[in-house]
Amino acid sequence: MKRFYLIGFLLLMGFDTLAQISFKYAGTQALPVAASLEWVLRVFSQPWVYGAVIGYVGAFFTWMALLKHAPIGPAFAASHLEVVSVMLLSIWLFDEQLNTARVLGAIAIIAGIVCLGMAESREHVPEAEPAPAEA
Amino acid sequence: MMSVAGSISPLVAGLWLLNIVLDTGGQLAFKAAAGDEGAGDGLARWKHMASRPWLWLGVASYVIEFLVWIAFLSLIPLSEGVLLGSINIVAIMVAGRFLFGEKLTRLRVAGILLVTLGVVIVGVGG
Repeated sequence: MKRFYLIGFLLLMGFDTLAQISFKYAGTQALPVAASLEWVLRVFSQPWVYGAVIGYVGAFFTWMALLKHAPIGPAFAASHLEVVSVMLLSIWLFDEQLNTARVLGAIAIIAGIVCLGMAESREHVPEAEPAPAEA
Repeated sequence: MMSVAGSISPLVAGLWLLNIVLDTGGQLAFKAAAGDEGAGDGLARWKHMASRPWLWLGVASYVIEFLVWIAFLSLIPLSEGVLLGSINIVAIMVAGRFLFGEKLTRLRVAGILLVTLGVVIVGVGG
């Protein structure tokens, strides 16, 4: 069962990461930004935007499947920790640099997400316990 | 790409704010659609939801948000964009607190403050 969760969380992160990478490629190829139909058509005329759609839809169904079985706290945290994978990949794919502000900001954000995940876990703890008095 | 540290243009800031409004608004609309008492079960529930505006408001918000997020990310580095986007987690929790009376425990407040702090650091320092 542990392995099921782990694969689920990794899949969720994978889909979310795919979506963000695709968003970036789609946006870059549709530049310049304009509040116009031409811009929207440019966005939808190249394949990356569909990678974003696949990422979103995949993440949605993975999330729904996970929530049926997995504890909500770790699931919540996993669903937002794609910031880490996206940051690391953007160094490699887009030649971005991690400056001090981004690294410090990321550490604070991740710590915050972990706190929020722990808060969710605490509130939903009783559900996980089977009622021993029955039968 | 072209972004220098700390140079968030008015357009980028506007898209960022619009993304928060649409994301939070969309989630709240879905919450209102799903939490409707007396909506029934199964197909009847879906029919009930489809005949009222909340579900469609949520879908419309998400469609527009999709485009706004693409525009936003095309103007700043992705590593900066995903970090700034984390503020949506905070916005939805604060909105849930005010509109649905959801509890903000000490751990949640700590989480909200840390995420906000992180976003501020990235926003100011690039």
